[in-house]
Parts: sequence; structure tokens; C-alpha cells
Amino acid sequence: MASSVPPPPPAIALDGLAKTFPGGVEAVAPTTLTLEAGRTTALVGPSGCGKSTILRLIAGLETPSAGGVDIAGEPPLAIRRRGELAVAFQDPSLLPWRSVRGNVALAMTLARRPTDPRAIDRLIDLVGLGGFGDTRPGALSGGMRQRAAIARCLVTEPRLLLLDEPFGAVDELTRRQLAQDLPRIWEARGTTTLLVTHSVSEAVTLADRILVFSPRPATVVADIDVPFERPRAPGLATRPEAIALAERVSSALAEGRAARERSLAAQ
Amino acid sequence: MSAIASEAPRRSWRPPAAVLGVLAILAVWELSARALAGAYLLAGPSDVTAYLWQNAGLMGRALRATLAEAAAGFVIGNAAAILLAALALLWPRAERGIAALALLVFCLPLVATGPILRVLFGPGPGPQITLAALAVYYTTLVPLLVGLRAAPSTWFDLVHSYGRGRLAELWHIRAMAALPYLFAGLQIAAPAAFLGAMVGEFTGAERGMGVLTIRAMRALDVEATWALAAVAALVSMAAYGAFGWLARRVLTEAPPVILAAPGGAATPRRGEGLARIAVVTVLALALWWGLLEAFGVNAFFAKRPDDVWAFLITAPDAGENRATLFGALAETAVYVLPGYLAGLALGAGLAVLLTLLPALAGAAMPVAIALRSVPIVTTAPLIVLVLGRGATGTVALVAVMVFFPTLIACLHGLRQAPGQVLDVFDAYASGRWRRLVHAQVPAMWPAFFATVRIAVPAAVLAVTVVEWLATGRGVGALMALSASLSDYGMLWSAVVVVAVLSCALYAVVAAVEARVLAIYAAEQGR
Amino acid sequence: MRMAHPTRRHVLGGLGAAGLAGLAPRRLLAQPTPVSLQLSWLHSVQFAGSYIAQENGWWAERGLDVSLAPGGPNAPVEPPVVSGNALVGISAADYTAAAVAEGAPFKILMVAMQKNPFVVASLPDNPVNEPADLVGKSIGMALANTPVLEALCRINDVDIDEIEIVPTQYSAAPLLSGEVDCLLCWETDLPVAMAVQGQESVTMLMADHGYSVHSQTYIATEDSIANRRDQLVALLAGEVQGWTRYREDTEAAAQLTVDRFPDAGLDIETQTLQAERQVPLMFSDLTDENGFGWWTDETVQANIETLALLGRDVSPDLWDRSILEEVHGQ
Repeated sequence: MASSVPPPPPAIALDGLAKTFPGGVEAVAPTTLTLEAGRTTALVGPSGCGKSTILRLIAGLETPSAGGVDIAGEPPLAIRRRGELAVAFQDPSLLPWRSVRGNVALAMTLARRPTDPRAIDRLIDLVGLGGFGDTRPGALSGGMRQRAAIARCLVTEPRLLLLDEPFGAVDELTRRQLAQDLPRIWEARGTTTLLVTHSVSEAVTLADRILVFSPRPATVVADIDVPFERPRAPGLATRPEAIALAERVSSALAEGRAARERSLAAQ
Repeated sequence: MSAIASEAPRRSWRPPAAVLGVLAILAVWELSARALAGAYLLAGPSDVTAYLWQNAGLMGRALRATLAEAAAGFVIGNAAAILLAALALLWPRAERGIAALALLVFCLPLVATGPILRVLFGPGPGPQITLAALAVYYTTLVPLLVGLRAAPSTWFDLVHSYGRGRLAELWHIRAMAALPYLFAGLQIAAPAAFLGAMVGEFTGAERGMGVLTIRAMRALDVEATWALAAVAALVSMAAYGAFGWLARRVLTEAPPVILAAPGGAATPRRGEGLARIAVVTVLALALWWGLLEAFGVNAFFAKRPDDVWAFLITAPDAGENRATLFGALAETAVYVLPGYLAGLALGAGLAVLLTLLPALAGAAMPVAIALRSVPIVTTAPLIVLVLGRGATGTVALVAVMVFFPTLIACLHGLRQAPGQVLDVFDAYASGRWRRLVHAQVPAMWPAFFATVRIAVPAAVLAVTVVEWLATGRGVGALMALSASLSDYGMLWSAVVVVAVLSCALYAVVAAVEARVLAIYAAEQGR
Repeated sequence: MRMAHPTRRHVLGGLGAAGLAGLAPRRLLAQPTPVSLQLSWLHSVQFAGSYIAQENGWWAERGLDVSLAPGGPNAPVEPPVVSGNALVGISAADYTAAAVAEGAPFKILMVAMQKNPFVVASLPDNPVNEPADLVGKSIGMALANTPVLEALCRINDVDIDEIEIVPTQYSAAPLLSGEVDCLLCWETDLPVAMAVQGQESVTMLMADHGYSVHSQTYIATEDSIANRRDQLVALLAGEVQGWTRYREDTEAAAQLTVDRFPDAGLDIETQTLQAERQVPLMFSDLTDENGFGWWTDETVQANIETLALLGRDVSPDLWDRSILEEVHGQ
């Protein structure tokens, strides 16, 4: 069913989206913005700022307290139902009783696609787990599990890809390799990608646009365009203009925190 | 992973210790038999072996008959449990209703259900199979409902992120997550099914181990009596071992870390609870009345709800009837409550001890299984002889019936402490005791409470059977007497009151459980 | 526990049987009508007369295909008879009276045990030969049978408070282990078991001391008596014939029982002894004169008096001799 002419990637519109949890914890302040179709947007912010909640709201895994999410004119459930969404969770969430291959295949089953063993093995190789296809997650390291989760996420060729700290446990060398290889997949398909990360350099290397968030409740404090050409060159992160951009992001982060502390002190 | 590696040696039995345990049992058994020679109460392993050798054909045919009934009941009962659990998950609003009705049916005393089943089924193995199924379905259902929730929430997010719903959750995640709990349920169910089939034969069967047991006990044939008990125990132990082996083959993964947010669930509003009770009551009454009418069961012995109401409330002698019934219940309560608590304490205590001293498990498990597997009909006279006909004997019998499922469930629960969490303790080189208190015991709570709930009807069942067959007191004896004197108004009233009281006690336990689990296993509230 | 705990069995369709009987009353050698006889206990020589009748085709030649449903400790006789699953059940006068008091439309059609089989069994060195000997002794029994002991004491002017009642399981073990001085049981079960184990015992038959309750009584519903009379006559006729043959050779009866039920765990020694000990309970001058299963107004009156002591208010029309008269009139 991997059709030769994929449907165009969707744009995502958040309209006054906000989330307050039952205990009264305000995770996301009302947010209105548009994520362009076919581009990679990084959400950068301090730990616990609510960026993961935004991702879950976009996926429709949380119900917003106010506002809404519109994905190419539809609610999140519609794209989920068609199996066109994939999420890489912070926790790899691999099922312990399935092998790596079985876990990747599960995504195809859940997305109601016919299982394609060659596609599965290709992705397992791509994330550097070649030879571990029959291994159960219990026998893998944390980084290997995360890579298996990434393979699972890509195997269904989603139109919308939501990545929540996907490389948190991956070692530096592999992370660089993945940062090289993975974008090719979604670039080729023009997938709309949302990357939640607290790593500034990761955001700079991978994203077309960086939204910097304040501490909780999440509000956008900076919207930074990443003007580098695609495909990104291997040494991009060490180039002066990339370092300068990373500096901008870091100072926006620091500013966001300072502003939040000021407003708390004023209360 | 280290979790798996360190799990392996903790798993229950190692052959040498098990062999020692079995040898110890045999030695104690033989010596006791010799000490009690002439009392016609106990035959030792040598006599039993000789009897089995000489009567292999007879025993083989009886075993085949009872085993077939037990196996059919086992399959049907467990299949029903799995279906009910799946239904409860797919249709969450109905879960509490299903669980309550299932409980009510499980609380029906077999002294009373046996004859009714015989009339419904006619000749053949119908009642035996049904009683075996009834003996197992609930003890599988309860752990299954726990196990079906024992998965981290992100697994469900994964399913939802592909737009899939409860059915996919059930199929891809819950079913597998529940397997360890299912196996624990099946291990408990195996001896129960066999005993259920044997007691089913008391309702009028042509052949089987139950038939031979009645005959042997009346004929003072202690060799036959204990040969039957030994075979029953062996079958139960074999089934227990087989399911344990299967579980170890299938369940090679360490249990997942489940971190669910506390609170949220377990706060049903007061009105909701009352409404649920009302719905379940109406449903139960409708089922009761409807089934009897549908099968056209004669009202002489199959009393309807209004008959019981009249018997206890509106009839001229209702006061007298109530006095008789509640007098008997009070007699029973004196035995059942201490026995229940003692059984729980023993089961949980032994589970903790075996976790601290794993070397002991190999020797202790066979003893525990044997205790549970030897039919209560056979052991009752012996325990009564040793402990006397007073409270102690009955209390001990109830404790024995409660203790085994508690032990199994707690052992299983203690194993649910996730490997990563135990690794944290290992990192600090914490002793077994600390691990136990801070990681394993908290992990045990869901399984422990499940068994505390299950044990309520098990204890009631045990006490009524003992009263019926051995002591001749209390509500168990009253039910047997009512059946033989055709006092079916009393019989059905006793059944209703016993079932309702069991359910009430169960509800009290469930309320305590909800408070504890809100902290230790919030996923159970989902 | 009293012995007569029941059981059941099912006709392959009570409706079909009734219908057939209605259409073709008693056609000899035609398709036999299936009916069920509900026994009061597990298969044993206690019901040997039935096995003999079946073995010899004495029911088949009367147009009946009788199935014998075993009982057990958890299998009351009355429900299958009331519900029509069994045409006839084997009960006892006290149980039948209790069921009738609860609204069951039963009649007693035939009395197999003229004398009630209840005994007080004791050991020879501490015997209970007559009711007065019970004073100061402990007796092991089911508490449910307390009314039986009370009745015996009332009839014989014994103060029941002088007897220590110990609730026991139905087994001779408590007597042999010295836990109790005597047992309330049946003449034909626990004392036989003790004898086979080489333990002599003394039995005091309660029927010899005024306890008159017909046992192993054949009961049917009023509806069956009205509408299935031919089948009842045929069934009881086969029984009478079977029990008559039984008396001629109890050893053969025991052998037949053991052979017929190889899976029941019966041993020939026990069955032979039990068969022998049943004879004086089942056969008397009365039956010699009038035929097996007979009773008179006098024996019924004695029953009514004992039943009154058991708290049962019974009228003589609980007994219906018309079927038996037809059987013996043949």
C-alpha cells in the first residue's frame, strides 16, 4: 500500500490550544501557531515546560482544555485512524515479548498496513540494529531500544511524524549518524515533522524552524528560522553560522526563564 | 539483561530441594500413619502404594472419568473467565457489574447448587463439569482483570497514536501483559477443578474418584481413601507443575515498570455505588427468576425470589426461620473469620519467607500444594482428630483452603517487582529485607488484594463443606439438612444470605484495596 | 448424615414417555417406554432387587426401559421425582412426610424396608444393647439426626440430656478410635464395614425399640398415579419380582451387583454381608403373607406415631396401596 504518489504532508494549526491538568497544573498556556507542511519544526524548552504535552495534544492523545488542533483541515483522530501519524515517545515503549522485528512490524499492523519484511529489515539496518532483528528489547541497551522505537515510527511512512526526545539515550556517535540518515527519509517524503528536544544543537541540525518555549506553562518566547540548505552537511553543527544560531536559541531559552522568574516574583 | 539473569535463581523450585521436600513429606506421612495405626484414619505411603498396585485398573478408570470432567470444567471455566475479562475491558461501564455478578455466582454454596444442577442436567457428567468450571472461573477472572491492566500507559499511547482503540489495546498489549497473571490463575485453578469434579460426583455419578472416596470412607477402607487422596494430590501437583513450567517457558521477560499517576480513579461517588448495587441486584434477581422459568424448573425445590422473600420476611413463621438461619450463620462466622485471617496471614507470610530464603521454596512448595490438593473430605477427619472437633479443627481447615491461593498469588506478586527497580537496590547492595520491604512487597499489593477478595468465597465454601461433611454444625449443616428434609425455602434463603454476605465482605475488602492501590498500583484504577 | 440422600436421573424425555404411554397403553413387546428410577444412594446391593429385575428383562417384558439413577451425599431424591425426571424415587417415610409438608404431591407406593435400618452400634466391651444403656455414653452422629435420637428416647423413657451427642462424620472411625462410645448409623453400612475389617460390633436396631419409620419407600407423584398408572404397576411388579429372587439367593445378588458396576469400587465380601443383613429388614411375616413391599393400617399407624415424635404431622393417606394391590393381584 506504499503508494507511489504519497498524499501531500499536512500543515498543523494550533488555535488557542491550552492544557490544564485536573490537579490544576497549567501545562500549556493558550497557543496559536501554524506548523508548515513538509517542514521540520523543533520545540525547544527546559525540562517539564509542557512541550511534550503539546506533542501529545497534536497527536490527540490528550484532550485540550481550550482551543483545538487542526491537521490539514481535520482533527487529529482522522489522521491517526488512517495510520498516517507516528509518534516516537520519550520512553521507547517496546513490547517486551516481541523481538525488535516484531516491535517494528507491530506499527504496520496497528496502522493496518500489510507487513513488509524487507522494509522492516531495511529500517532496522538504517538505525544501526542490523543483526538484532530477533533480539528482544530486554536484551538491548537503552540507546538501542530508542533506535528500535525510531525504526518502528518510520516503517509506516507517516505523513506526520512526532518525535519526543528520540535520541535521549543514544550515544553521541550514533546520534550524529542518525541525525544524518533519518532526515533523508522524511525529507524525501516531505513528511511534516515535529521534534521535541532540549538539545539546542540537535534542533539546529535537524529543524527548519525552532520554537523556543518558556518554563511551564509553555509559551513561545522565540520563533527562529533555520536557513541551512538540505540535505544538511555532516559538519554543519561546527560551522560559525550554526554556532551563532545555537547561541540565539540558547539566549532565548535563558530569557524565557528569566522572564518567567520575574513574573513569578512579581506575583 | 541483569533483571532476567537475577530473576532466574529466584524462580520457585530447584530439583534437589524439591526432592528433599517430597522425601520429607513421605517420611512424615509414613511415620504418622504408623503412629495412628488402628485408628482407621490414615494410611501411609507404603500401604497406599500397595493398594494402587493391586487396584490399578479400578483407580485408572476412576481417574480417567474424574480427570475428563475436571479437564472439561477447567477449560470451560477458564474460557468463561477470559471472555468475561475481555468483555469487561471492551465495555468498561459493565465491568463492575460483570465482576459483581460473577462473584455472586461464585459465592453460591455447592451444597445447594449440586442437586439443582443434577436435576437440570440429568444423568451424566453435566453437574461434575459445571461444578469444576464454577470452582475455577472466578479465581482466574480476578487476576486476569488485574493483569489486563498491568501495562505502562505509553504502550496504550502507542496503540492510540495509530488511531486504534480498545480492541487493538486488548489484542496487542493487554492480552500479553496479562499472561503472567493468567498463568498464576491457572495454577490455582488446576487443583480446584479436580476437587470441583470430585464433589460434583456426590450429586449422583456412576463412576469417578469422588464416588470411590465416598465408598471408601464409609467402608473404613483407609488404604483406598488415602490412595484416592494421594492420586488427587499427585494430579493437582502435576497440573500445577505443568503450568509453572509452561509459564517459565513462555514468560521470559522481566515485568515492565509501571508508573501510573496516582489518584484519578478509585473515587466512585457514593450515589454511584448504591446505583450499581441496585442494578446488580435487579440483574441477579432477573437472572435467577428468568433462568428457573426458562428451564421450567419445578418450584417445589427451585425457589424463586418471591418465595425467599416470603420465607424470610412475610410468612407467619418468618421470624422463626430467620432465627434458625442467623443462628446457624453466627455459628459459622465464629469459624470462618479466624480461619480466613489465619489463612491469609499464613499464605502471605510464607510467600515473604520464601522470597527471603529462596532455598526453602523447593521444599516448601510441594508441601503447600499437597495440603491444598488432598480433598478436604479426606483430610477433615484427620485434622479433626488432631485438633479436635471444636473451633480449632474447623478454623484450620478453612485456613488451609485460603492459604494456598494466597501463597501462590503473593509469590507471583512479589515477582512483579520490575528488574530495573531491583537493580537500584542492588546498586546500593541492599539486603534482601530492604528489597522486600521497599520494592517487592509494594509490587505484591495488587495480587495480594486480588487474593484477599477471592479468598472470601473460598473460605465460605470451605467452611460450609466442612460443616456439611465433618462437624455437622452451622450453615453448611443447615443447608444439607434442609435439602434432605425438602426444606427448600430454608435452603435457598441460606444460599441467598450466604452469597450476599460473602459479597458484602468482599466489598469491604475491595474498599480497603482501592485506598492502598491508589498509591501502589494506580494503573489498576484505569 | 442419614443414609437416604438421594439422586436422580433423567428419563430420556419425560414428555415423550408420557405421550407414548397415553397413545399406546401397555403394548407388550412394543418399543419399551423409557422411565427412570431414582435410587437413594450410590449403586450397591442395597438396590439389588432392581438389578435382578433389569438383568432378567422383567421390566422389558412389561414394556418398560428402566434406567437406574444413582444417588449420593449431595443428591436429594425428591426433586427429580417432583420435576418428572424420575417416575419413581426411593425415599423414606420421614423424608417423604417432610417433602409433602413442603407441598410435594407424593404418595408412598411400596415399602422395601419394613423395619427402619437405624441402629446404635457399639463395641462388645462397652455395648449398647437397649436404649437404657445409652445413659452416660457419648454417641457419634450427624446433628441433623438429633430428632431421631430424641424420638427413641421419648419412646423408651430415656433422658436425652444424659447422652453426650458428638457431631461426627458418617464413619466408624470415631467409634474405633475411642472418640465415642457408640454411633447412630444404619445396620447395613458401618457395622458391615467394621465386620469386614474384622471388628465385631453390637447393634441395637431402633425398630426393635419402637422406632417405626418405613424406609426405602417407593414414592411417586399423584399426577403419575393418575396418569401413568400402567408404568407404575409395571415398574413395581418388576421390583417385587426382583426382590423375591433376591431373597432366594443373596450371594448371587451380591455377585450380580459387583459384576454390574465394576467401576463402583464394590467388594464382594462387603456386598455379600450387606445383602444378608438386609433380609430381616425387608422380609417379615407380613410380606410372606401379603407379598413384598406390603403394609397394613397398623404399621401405618405405628409410623404416624413415630413421625409425630419427629415433629411430622402425617395422615394415613400418605400411603397409597392401590398400585401394590394391583401388582400382587396379577
